[in-house]
Amino acid sequence: MRDHIRQKIYHVEALTPKQATADIAGDLEKFAEKYRTLHAAGCTICITDNPMGLLSFQGTEVIEHLGLPVDPQRLCLHLNTFHSKRDFDAILEACIGLGIEWLLLISGDGSVRLPRLSGRELGCDVPAVTSVELLKYVHREYPGRFRTGVAYNPYEPQEHELEKMRRKIGAGAEFAITQPILEKHPALDHFLEIFDLPVIVEAWMMKKLHLLSECVGYEIPEGTVHDPLESLAKLIATYPACGFYLSFLGMKTQLPEIGGLWQ
Amino acid sequence: MNIVVLIKQVPGTSEVSIDPETKRLVREGVSAVLNPFDLYALEEGVRIRERSGGRVTAVTMGPPQAEAALREALSCGADEAILLSDRAFAGSDTWATSYALACAVKKLGAVDLVFCGKQAVDGDTAQVGPGVAAHLDWPQATYVSHCALAAEGRMQVNRMHEDGYDVVDISLPAVVTVVKDINQPRVPTLKSCLASRQADIPVWSAADVAADAALLGLKGSPTRVVKIEPPPPRGNATVVVSGNPRDCARTLIHELRKKSLV
Repeated sequence: MRDHIRQKIYHVEALTPKQATADIAGDLEKFAEKYRTLHAAGCTICITDNPMGLLSFQGTEVIEHLGLPVDPQRLCLHLNTFHSKRDFDAILEACIGLGIEWLLLISGDGSVRLPRLSGRELGCDVPAVTSVELLKYVHREYPGRFRTGVAYNPYEPQEHELEKMRRKIGAGAEFAITQPILEKHPALDHFLEIFDLPVIVEAWMMKKLHLLSECVGYEIPEGTVHDPLESLAKLIATYPACGFYLSFLGMKTQLPEIGGLWQ
Repeated sequence: MNIVVLIKQVPGTSEVSIDPETKRLVREGVSAVLNPFDLYALEEGVRIRERSGGRVTAVTMGPPQAEAALREALSCGADEAILLSDRAFAGSDTWATSYALACAVKKLGAVDLVFCGKQAVDGDTAQVGPGVAAHLDWPQATYVSHCALAAEGRMQVNRMHEDGYDVVDISLPAVVTVVKDINQPRVPTLKSCLASRQADIPVWSAADVAADAALLGLKGSPTRVVKIEPPPPRGNATVVVSGNPRDCARTLIHELRKKSLV
């Protein structure tokens, strides 16, 4: 991941179609177009895993179905705890088949419709599986096969969050991706002082902020004005040693602009 | 093992309204989903088929748009789906609906097991499964949290009640209604979703299932809803669980499960 940062390769989020869609074919086509555009632009494509607990099609399945190109160094699959063991293993096997190496292992968002992995299934004695158990499982069952990252949340109480991060690193985390931030964040500054870990800062590329409030669980003051490109430029200047993860990137209006921001 | 799973399309929101004239749910303009309990019934049917072979047929009665629920059932593992749709079915209460569904089960023939969710989340009556059993004159087990095929032609089930569960041995064919504890429904795959959208879904009319028109629709519905009003709000209550920690934890989990909180 340090190479990604050195080469100034953006990580760009790509959401697979939701299962509830009325137009699977249309949504798959849109996903394929976005994927190919990002691939051609040299970005690392980050494929989400049922974000917000909403049932979506699995990334590996979609890539296989659409015959999309896989660059092992520029594809990162998110994988969370809300899977059956059978599906979880199948996804990992599919990753191996497709040559996917980078995984972002996260606790994730559940819903009544999603099963949750149990500690027993992953061979550990814990009341609830978190990204730490996913890391241990992946590195135990597939040694040397995957490069794994985790999430870092600057909005959580930091004492607990930093302790969790130590456990994640101990379990094999090689990099961290932050929750979206809009500007310099003191918790992240502290994090960077403590850990010698490649950090990818998530930038919120949507003008509207209400969804960000929902995602990170803290109230963003009403009336906060957000210019995504300006905010990204400031983050790049503030965190020169970090990489950048772009959520909700506008493919027509923003993608052509971001290259010039990170020189 | 030939299994029929009876499913229902229900409003996708808890904010449904009731027509003051007809005392029926207003379904127009409300998004529709597969009744959540039916997913568990479907999963159980599919698991039994995976272990023992056979076929799983999803059946629903409703307007043409109920086909979407059947496609979801196909994406979750059903082998085939049948839509009962006919103006003659309109206005059916749970008894008339049970009759129509029982006629469809009879038409399918050689069915070993009928699964239903314990209830639909719109009407919340929990009457259709037992009604189908009555019309077929088959044994039934309701609120089932576990089932296992026993000796030839028999099945053992755990039937949940407020204080635990009964282990019941039933002969097949039978009707079984299930609760959420029974399994964790699988998540459909892209492949199964795409296949489900291509599937042919036969539409059966009242005549196709040889149903007596006098027993369908409003004519065949003995239920008369005379008044609907919200239940009185439940007061808060504090329950103190005492004893050794292990028993306390068990009691607490049991109580929370009863309220579907865990």
